[in-house]
Amino acid sequence: MDSEAVEPLLKVTDLVLKYSTRAGPVRAVDGISFTVRPGETLALVGESGSGKSSTALAIIRILPRNVAEFSGSVVFNGTELMKLDDEEFRRKVRVGGISMVFQGAMNSLNPVLKVGFQVAESLIVNVGLSKQEAMKKAEEAVELVGLDRTVVQRYPHELSGGMKQRVLIAMALITRPKLVILDEPTSALDVMTQANIMNLLKRLKAEMSLTYVFITHDLALASELADRVGVMYGGKIVELGPSDTVYSNPRHPYTKLLLESVPMLRADRPPTFIPGTPPDLINPPPGCRFHPRCPYFMKGKCDAKVPKEFRTDSDHLAACWLLEERGDE
Amino acid sequence: MNKSGNLITTEDLKIYFPVRRFLRTVGYVKAVDGVSLHISKGETVALVGESGSGKTTFGRALLGLVRPSGGRIVFDGLDITDLEEKDMKRVRRRMGVVFQDPYASLNPVFPIYRIVEEPLVVNRMGTPEERREVVMKALEDVRLTPPEFFASKYPHMLSGGQRQRVAIARAIITNPDLVVADEPVSMLDASIRVEILTLFKEIQQRHNVSFLYITHDMATAKYFSERIAIMYAGKIVELGPTKEVLSDPLHPYTQALIEAIPDPDPTNRFRFRKVTPGQPPSLINPPSGCRFHPRCQYLIQGTCDVVEPMLIRIKGERYVACHLYEKPPMEREGHQ
Repeated sequence: MDSEAVEPLLKVTDLVLKYSTRAGPVRAVDGISFTVRPGETLALVGESGSGKSSTALAIIRILPRNVAEFSGSVVFNGTELMKLDDEEFRRKVRVGGISMVFQGAMNSLNPVLKVGFQVAESLIVNVGLSKQEAMKKAEEAVELVGLDRTVVQRYPHELSGGMKQRVLIAMALITRPKLVILDEPTSALDVMTQANIMNLLKRLKAEMSLTYVFITHDLALASELADRVGVMYGGKIVELGPSDTVYSNPRHPYTKLLLESVPMLRADRPPTFIPGTPPDLINPPPGCRFHPRCPYFMKGKCDAKVPKEFRTDSDHLAACWLLEERGDE
Repeated sequence: MNKSGNLITTEDLKIYFPVRRFLRTVGYVKAVDGVSLHISKGETVALVGESGSGKTTFGRALLGLVRPSGGRIVFDGLDITDLEEKDMKRVRRRMGVVFQDPYASLNPVFPIYRIVEEPLVVNRMGTPEERREVVMKALEDVRLTPPEFFASKYPHMLSGGQRQRVAIARAIITNPDLVVADEPVSMLDASIRVEILTLFKEIQQRHNVSFLYITHDMATAKYFSERIAIMYAGKIVELGPTKEVLSDPLHPYTQALIEAIPDPDPTNRFRFRKVTPGQPPSLINPPSGCRFHPRCQYLIQGTCDVVEPMLIRIKGERYVACHLYEKPPMEREGHQ
């Protein structure tokens, strides 16, 4: 796969998002860059606090009030989103552009409104369809995600967790988006329901040629969808590459250790853990943010200079000084 | 394995919750419906099931927090099924519990010291000086070092993993024989999960504690339990040595659960997972016969939907409740 051959659908460059807190600014997203090509799935994987959800919120511009700094470039479908005002953003991006499926199927729906109206709402508010037309589309949308049309007449409490999650997916798809951001779409669901939802996402991807950004802390689950994987640590992307090489030949020590911490069901390899704790994003460690936990730590190098991104294969990047030592092919 | 070394045994344990409409009881939620299980001294048994399978209720019954509707619980030779609360309290001293959510299970206005000390105070164990020593030792045991530093902190100052360590310290402070750990790592990040489970293992080896590890996660159960019990709709459908069950699952439900769980493998994206249709049943009116029969691809009409399968021994320590295995092996082939 050549990265230059296809025009990316989403191109994020040097994205920075800082929150102000009493203790000082938190560098939730600290200068990350990546692209997503049409029809592919990029998984952003990281532990809590690594900045993966903040990245999603920054792209779709749902920001909390305490933003201290928000900069960089987000080009979607040829348009620089950072230059759009809120009204333009709503018209160009929220409708038919980027949709998001939020985590927490249980709590994302309004308990006092019928499901159908909640699915149709963005068509009524953002597109200006009449209620009847929008409701008809809502019926089609819930059918698309494998639910019965009559679900639109029901209230959220009448549905199971898996059904609610399907409703949230229908809600995201009803505006016919080009890019769907999935933020932990199966958290709090049982394993069989999770497998069902992942099958649905695979089917929709193929049928509607959707592009996904899939945010998860679970490397095993990420492999269900990801064509490429970006591994985040301490607000930065430490490794980015095709799933085929990231899983089989991880180049960053963090990725390697994270993979080794996953208990495998089909192979017999006792999982290990990464000693230490994730970095404090108010006062992150100097140099590489992973250096205090890294078994390959090189004194005077890793704790002094922020590692450059090294290209290990044509499409595989990792930010680690070890790759310089081993020779940057 | 060592029958004499059983710490806790349940026999045909039933826990029903009444469903009331106005003042009348109109039915029962059969959360646990005839579960027989034992845990040996120093053993970890994983109890695996989906939400609503009754696994948490079973754990609470062992701790004497819900009263059984039928069956027996024997703890170290003593029948605790219908014990008075004041007697149960004495038994409970020998049990500890770790809950799922370390953000909700620790009192936010108590410093860590007081949280960990509390079981000793409640059970009137030791003088304040002796208690202090025990608390510091427990904090060290769970690697919250230096203990003096953590003792004065409040829960909100700690990370999720550290809070769960506090919960573990509290669970082991009375030097219990049994610890019920109910989804102790499901709220934690992947890399911390293994760290906490490794800690459980260490504590077990040091103090010879028995663990009931309640979880929905078969992958962690695989590496942190000796035996595994698979629960579906209030019943154990399969029981046996963990690695044997997971590498060669017998019950169709166990097979379906394993099939649903991904391992990190980039080829996953090219295939759809085989998912059993349907939902776990209502526990008020569970299906007749085998509770899994409406979803089972090997359904034998006239048997599975009529006769309830018993948990029978297949080989060694392996048990399964499925009609497919009740027939002689020659006939069994025909149904596959």
